[in-house]
Amino acid sequence: MIPVYICDDEQAISVRLEKIISDQIMILDGDMGPVRVADCPAKLLGLQRQDTVPAIYFLDIDFPGQMSGLTLAQELRRYDPRGFIVFITAHGDLAFETFRLRMEALDYIVKGDYDAMSVRVRDCLVSIQDRLRDEPAGQGRYCTLKLFDTVRHIPVEDILYFEALGYKHTLRLHLINELLEFNSSLDHFSEQLGEGFWRCHRGYLVNREHIRAVHLKEQSVELDTGEQCPLSRTAKSEYKTQLAVREAK
Amino acid sequence: MSLAFRLSVFIFVYILQGLGMFWLSIGIVGKKVRMVPFLLCAVFIPLIYLLNAGALVFAEDANFDLFVLIVTFISATMEVAVLGILIWKCYDIPVLHGIEAAMLSHFVIYTADDVVSQAAATYSPLFDRMHFYTFITIVLPKLWAFFVAFLAAYVLRRSGFYRHFAALFYNKLKTALIMTVSYTLMFVWTVIDWFYPNAEPNALYAIFFFSLITVVLLWVQFMAMYTAGQEKIHIQEETIAQQQAHMELLEELQQEIRAFRHDVTNLFSGLTLQAQEGDLDGIQEFMKKTSGYFDEKLGNEIKQMDGLNNIKLYPVRSLLTAKLAAMRQKHIQSALEVLHPVQERQMMETADILRGLGILIDNAMEAVPGKNGEIRLVMLQEEKELYIAVVNNYDVAPDLSALSEKGYTTKGSGRGTGLSSYRKIISRYPGCVSRTYLRDGFFVQELHVPAV
Repeated sequence: MIPVYICDDEQAISVRLEKIISDQIMILDGDMGPVRVADCPAKLLGLQRQDTVPAIYFLDIDFPGQMSGLTLAQELRRYDPRGFIVFITAHGDLAFETFRLRMEALDYIVKGDYDAMSVRVRDCLVSIQDRLRDEPAGQGRYCTLKLFDTVRHIPVEDILYFEALGYKHTLRLHLINELLEFNSSLDHFSEQLGEGFWRCHRGYLVNREHIRAVHLKEQSVELDTGEQCPLSRTAKSEYKTQLAVREAK
Repeated sequence: MSLAFRLSVFIFVYILQGLGMFWLSIGIVGKKVRMVPFLLCAVFIPLIYLLNAGALVFAEDANFDLFVLIVTFISATMEVAVLGILIWKCYDIPVLHGIEAAMLSHFVIYTADDVVSQAAATYSPLFDRMHFYTFITIVLPKLWAFFVAFLAAYVLRRSGFYRHFAALFYNKLKTALIMTVSYTLMFVWTVIDWFYPNAEPNALYAIFFFSLITVVLLWVQFMAMYTAGQEKIHIQEETIAQQQAHMELLEELQQEIRAFRHDVTNLFSGLTLQAQEGDLDGIQEFMKKTSGYFDEKLGNEIKQMDGLNNIKLYPVRSLLTAKLAAMRQKHIQSALEVLHPVQERQMMETADILRGLGILIDNAMEAVPGKNGEIRLVMLQEEKELYIAVVNNYDVAPDLSALSEKGYTTKGSGRGTGLSSYRKIISRYPGCVSRTYLRDGFFVQELHVPAV
């Protein structure tokens, strides 16, 4: 069961939303619930720790005199990096792009008449269901990455390879459909990730899962995506001996 | 004199020389002296001279004068190259700046050294003790040269010379000119020695050389300040153009408000009629229809204005104003979100934020489809970082694996220099994180800049 939280300081809204969400979960027959309501951010942060993650959060944008919805989302993400966040707003003019990119918010719901809200909530829940089906929770390993205050958990199977750039301690992480450049060292990751990764070159750490072929002659490692990583002489001889051992067996 | 004595004097003198050159170069580029490059310099420069001396001893019989000249040229060039590269590597300064600084300091030190050593050789009484004579004619001038370097470095660093100095390298022509002149200057004394081997080092001679140093330094300073001034004018012109774009946005908004006012007056006269008739359902219907009307009409413009107003980094504000205007002109649907004020406390220099952001936006504008192009810009100031995102839709999904290679572009060859220079800018600032990904039909370029 995936817990659902609502946080809004207007009671009328939270009562209505609670009803809508409960109804929609029933209709969709989703594996979600229970639905809990908090009237202030502090309370929600307390509630969050009492149940499992990932969870679904419906958050108001603004709590006058308290932390903003953005800060609240940041706090929630700290404990639940993979949760689903939906914002509730009084009018359509919120800066949703910021929320979507920065907080990876799923969608937003405009406070208004019952039917429109129902439709929106339903859409959200359906897309959450789809996402959960696509990536079953808790499976697979994660590579943790601390960038400033945010910690990212990257599924190991999404990693193609790490590349050390000539610049000072800059790494370029090649993911499926993503490039990420940050300061760190290859040694750090080769330690963290262990056997599943291969240091095929001083400046490259490759995910073994994604290797399509090793070209000894051209001294390169070809990945599923067609990208090529160089193969160093040390790694080549190491590879050859391993191959020989395997053949001997 | 024993060989050991000669050798130790030789080594001491050239270590001093290396250190002097290093000290002055670092003064020119306005950095603090660090131990590692300092020591490296103290090793490399004497090594070059050892090679130099070796070559001279080895080729004693050959056409000597010419040979000396050639060897001097080569060793001086090597010296400058080594020092320039050392500065480039250790201080993260463009390599040309390093080499130019090295050439200037080479010139200053040689001139100082040469004049004093010639004077010493001429005027020093002949001592019985050769050791003392050596000290006067060889060690003393080098000490003096080191002192001059030290003093010049202090002055240059205090006056913030590097700001002007860097301006010399803004365009290729100026760079070529200054490099050539400095390179020639390096050999002024060699050439003079070559033509007038027996010039008597009198007061006039000394005055000539020291005025040469002064004139050269003043000339460089003047050139640098002039270029910096030109650059400033250029930037101001750009700012004015961007302000113009901002004015246009305001005018447009005003037009729309006028139209909106007209609409609202009409709508409300209808509403008044309905209210008089007591048509409650009609009024409710009206409310439903018009509640989103204002946002629809003016929401985007007002949001953009709010966003722009939140950017306290004025050059960045001007850039975004200009870019948003360009997008409107190309009928690209644009949105700008800046929730919190963006301040002037970024670790990255504003000029570099400007260049980086400019490249990202240009890329986005090139990548959007001809029809229904959409670009969204987000800046979010947080406690520890400034978050910047440029999002665009696309015709053809960009190939991320190719994107990391140099010169990648979807628009034919020769246009992909943007991304590689973007990388270069980012790489100068440790702690920056850049992220590029595809999501839901959008191409997202993110940059996290640490706050000070």
